Amino acid sequence: MKIAIAASLLAASSALAQTIPPPGQTAQGDVAVTIYNNNRALVEDTRNLDLPSGRSRQEFPDVSAQIQPETVTLSGEGIGIVEQNFDFDLLSPDALMKNAVGQTVTLVRVNPSNGAETRERALILATNGGVVMQVGDHIEVLRDDGLPTRVIFDQVPPTLRARPTLSITLDTNGSGRRPVTLTYLTQGLGWSADYVALFDEAKSRMDLQGWITLTNNSGTPYVNASTLLVAGAVGQAPSYRRFNDYEDNDQSMVRAGTQTANRERIGDFYLYPLPERTTIADKQTKQVSFLDVHDTPATRGYEYRNSWMATANEPQSVSTVLRFSSSREQGLGDALPAGTVRVYERDARGNPQFVGEHAIGHTPMGSDISLATGEAFDVKVRPVVVSRERVTPEEWKTTERFRIRNRNGNVETGEFQVQQVYWRTNMRYVVTNASPKPVTVDLHQYGLSWDTRVVQESLTSEKPSDEEVLWRVPVPAGGQTVVTASFETRY
Amino acid sequence: MRPGLLLAAMTLAGQAEAQAMVISPAPQHVAVTIYRDPDRGTDPFNLGWLGGYALVSETRHVRIPVGESELRFEGVTSGLVPQTAIVTGLGAAVIEKNRDARLLSPGGLLDSELGQRMILRRANRRTGAVREQEAIVRATNDGIVIQTAAGIEALHCTGLSETLLARSVPPGLSATPTLSIRVRSPQPTERDVTLSYITNNFDWQANYVGDLSSDGRSVRLFAWMTVANGDDTGLASAAAQAVAGKLNRDRVYVEPGRAMPIARGCWPEGSTSTIDAMTAEDIGAFPDRNARAIVVTGVRAKANAPAPPPPPAPAEVMAEQERLGDVRLYRIPIAVTVAARSQKQVALLDQPSVKVETVLRLRPPPGRFDGSLDQVLRTRNNDASGLGVPLPAGKLELFQARKGRRLLVGEAQIEDRTIGEKIELVVGQSSAVHARQVPFRHHRAEGYALELTNDTPRARTVEVELPLNAKAIGGARLTERDGWMLWEVRVPANGLAKLSYGFENRSQSASTGRGR
Repeated sequence: MKIAIAASLLAASSALAQTIPPPGQTAQGDVAVTIYNNNRALVEDTRNLDLPSGRSRQEFPDVSAQIQPETVTLSGEGIGIVEQNFDFDLLSPDALMKNAVGQTVTLVRVNPSNGAETRERALILATNGGVVMQVGDHIEVLRDDGLPTRVIFDQVPPTLRARPTLSITLDTNGSGRRPVTLTYLTQGLGWSADYVALFDEAKSRMDLQGWITLTNNSGTPYVNASTLLVAGAVGQAPSYRRFNDYEDNDQSMVRAGTQTANRERIGDFYLYPLPERTTIADKQTKQVSFLDVHDTPATRGYEYRNSWMATANEPQSVSTVLRFSSSREQGLGDALPAGTVRVYERDARGNPQFVGEHAIGHTPMGSDISLATGEAFDVKVRPVVVSRERVTPEEWKTTERFRIRNRNGNVETGEFQVQQVYWRTNMRYVVTNASPKPVTVDLHQYGLSWDTRVVQESLTSEKPSDEEVLWRVPVPAGGQTVVTASFETRY
Repeated sequence: MRPGLLLAAMTLAGQAEAQAMVISPAPQHVAVTIYRDPDRGTDPFNLGWLGGYALVSETRHVRIPVGESELRFEGVTSGLVPQTAIVTGLGAAVIEKNRDARLLSPGGLLDSELGQRMILRRANRRTGAVREQEAIVRATNDGIVIQTAAGIEALHCTGLSETLLARSVPPGLSATPTLSIRVRSPQPTERDVTLSYITNNFDWQANYVGDLSSDGRSVRLFAWMTVANGDDTGLASAAAQAVAGKLNRDRVYVEPGRAMPIARGCWPEGSTSTIDAMTAEDIGAFPDRNARAIVVTGVRAKANAPAPPPPPAPAEVMAEQERLGDVRLYRIPIAVTVAARSQKQVALLDQPSVKVETVLRLRPPPGRFDGSLDQVLRTRNNDASGLGVPLPAGKLELFQARKGRRLLVGEAQIEDRTIGEKIELVVGQSSAVHARQVPFRHHRAEGYALELTNDTPRARTVEVELPLNAKAIGGARLTERDGWMLWEVRVPANGLAKLSYGFENRSQSASTGRGR
């Protein structure tokens, strides 16, 4: 009896053998994956298929669960495509029963006390809210009596599938085994870069390691895949703005570089091929090294940005920034794909400790990079509005001319004149340094406009743009520097 | 604690060549540096949801066989941020680093067995007789469809006691997300490797305890370094440090791994009866139609950090402070165990006598105001005041003794304060002096009449701090101090003091129109 069951099971499973791969195997062939930053990938899968001559329908299991089926193309020697289907009518108990309406199934009623089984054939009539069936010469509701009843279906309807399935109907010249290449786009695969910067402040040097971090949430593993990463988002605007999206809007790239890195490119994108084939498992985060630079120059700097001419009640910590270059001559000598730079410094015992991080966008080679990694404990700025007064020079300005026809039909003309009024704001910035080394703080005053005049200042400023002035303030160790300035604005 | 060496043929799909798997069960030595939640400010932390993070550095002794192998690190925290993991000590042998989050769960088990043979076990509820047979899993979408020798059937729709058994754990599924590296070594190697990573679920803060002397002129200032671990993994005998200061960091969401429940769907099961007469004992439980996917969720009890205990006698163990770049590092000098889901306190500083000054201060808001004054404890962070140490952010509880009993007399938030800074802590509100401010129009400008009333039998000194462009109206004298215009006034016992002040009005441009 047992042998008979096993034999019939074997027979049943051999019928399935074409669609279900044996354990631990995949239907994927030679897989090449190209991954973009914006959670998208192009998969190229070359499979050796044994095709019959003429028209045949081929199923392609083990494609991405997040496949964009409309992007599928298939190519190969001597094949023509009749149609492509993506079927997502999924096999479930409910779907199985719905499909059985009008067909007969086998009922096995089980006696709950002794386990004795009784077999009957039943015709399924309807499945609306409950299963109504005809058994012999009467109509009954399935398991209305609450007694255990197995329902055995003769077969799985061919339209119902365990997973969404891609199938392609082909017209083939001559039968035989041949490679066919399946190409499609999928969501759920993305990558970014992660950098580890070990900064030696005393030597003004740093070591930088770059890692490619790729994540697979597509629901499918890619077995032994040749993997290529593209630094960029193709075709669509980034769906999420992970990079450069900071409330303080501080850009990490001070000056965009103009050098070309010694990396492969396609179009305008840099390419990062993984050195060897790898299996990208589902729900996996994989990291592969792509950059390892030692002893490159890097300096520590301090920045403070006062966005308006306003008083701060308490001294504010300045930002600590790490500055370096990605240029060939004095820096990393490579382009940096978008990612996060984590900065480490050694403590008194020589152990690396994390001292802050900052995101970078795609950064060309030759760029100047300035990363705000945190706030300085010991260096602070307190901006204070000392006074604000009205200045009224003898300046008049015509703001409007007009021409009116009055009731008598005469034309009158006139103009409005406005006396120019300026506001003078006297600012004072107290920059303190409690650390045992002298520092230079880049002090930015924002909130200016094109006609703002700096009429007095205690330190010579630079004007990087119309909306800001910048002082490079030297502060002695354990001391302070006071910067004063007067601004004249029209509002 | 010897590292296990397990040579197993990897059955990972498609990898034809056998790969050795080396498991490193636990570190030999661990160091942890804890960082504050940068966005928490001075609020106390919530032990159920810690927003800070930690850098964990582990030393592990591993033996790597010749050829390609997978080195799996166990005993790492569950909050490990995979992109921050750094493995040093293996050099060029490392091919790649992986973190796998496919979890072993009831649904995940069945899903991995799709198309595979499992054992179908049916039991008689009355007699307990068990029958086992082979079955192939055909679908796991919204219910399970199996193929038996008899034909196609649905699991859990029959009223029978039935279940599917797997022969082994499918490859690639694990109890918790795992971190591993793939290495290739030309010869067998035995060495120490360092694994360091950033993990979520940690936080720390300073908790200050101040004892105000009876004359109110000095404070004994003691501080705890309060460290919390909200992770499932404890760190035993760790070298522990904490970093004071604000560092830039984006909180990274760590995919916890998906634990799928078994989908229990069936066909419609309406009956002709409205009475649910069947009992499970007789015929077995119906699958509940309304609960197709059974997911158990839990919410951790919300617990706030308890108030710190009073200071002990001079602390046996005191954290050591050093500079780390532009922030400060506090090191616990002995190895400590930072247990899973626990909070730990170690002495951070103890300054026996800090000179302080208690003042009543008012920074009047614009407009009408009616209220009490801030009670401010003021000192300067230098040696002359008996302080002169960096103060990491945290909460202060201020006590004062009265007839041998300690009373809580104030609470304050301390921000990160470095050496040399003025420190002003609002420890409470004083009801002794009351302030009332009424606006009035003064020429073309806004003016305010401020009245301070003292209901105590002794004169009190009050400092009123106004913006720098404020001007006194009438005889009062305002002096500039620290970016404020200061009106320092002695309010007589049971008396009052008055100030009128104003700002120059900001009028827009004056215009004239001339017709011709």
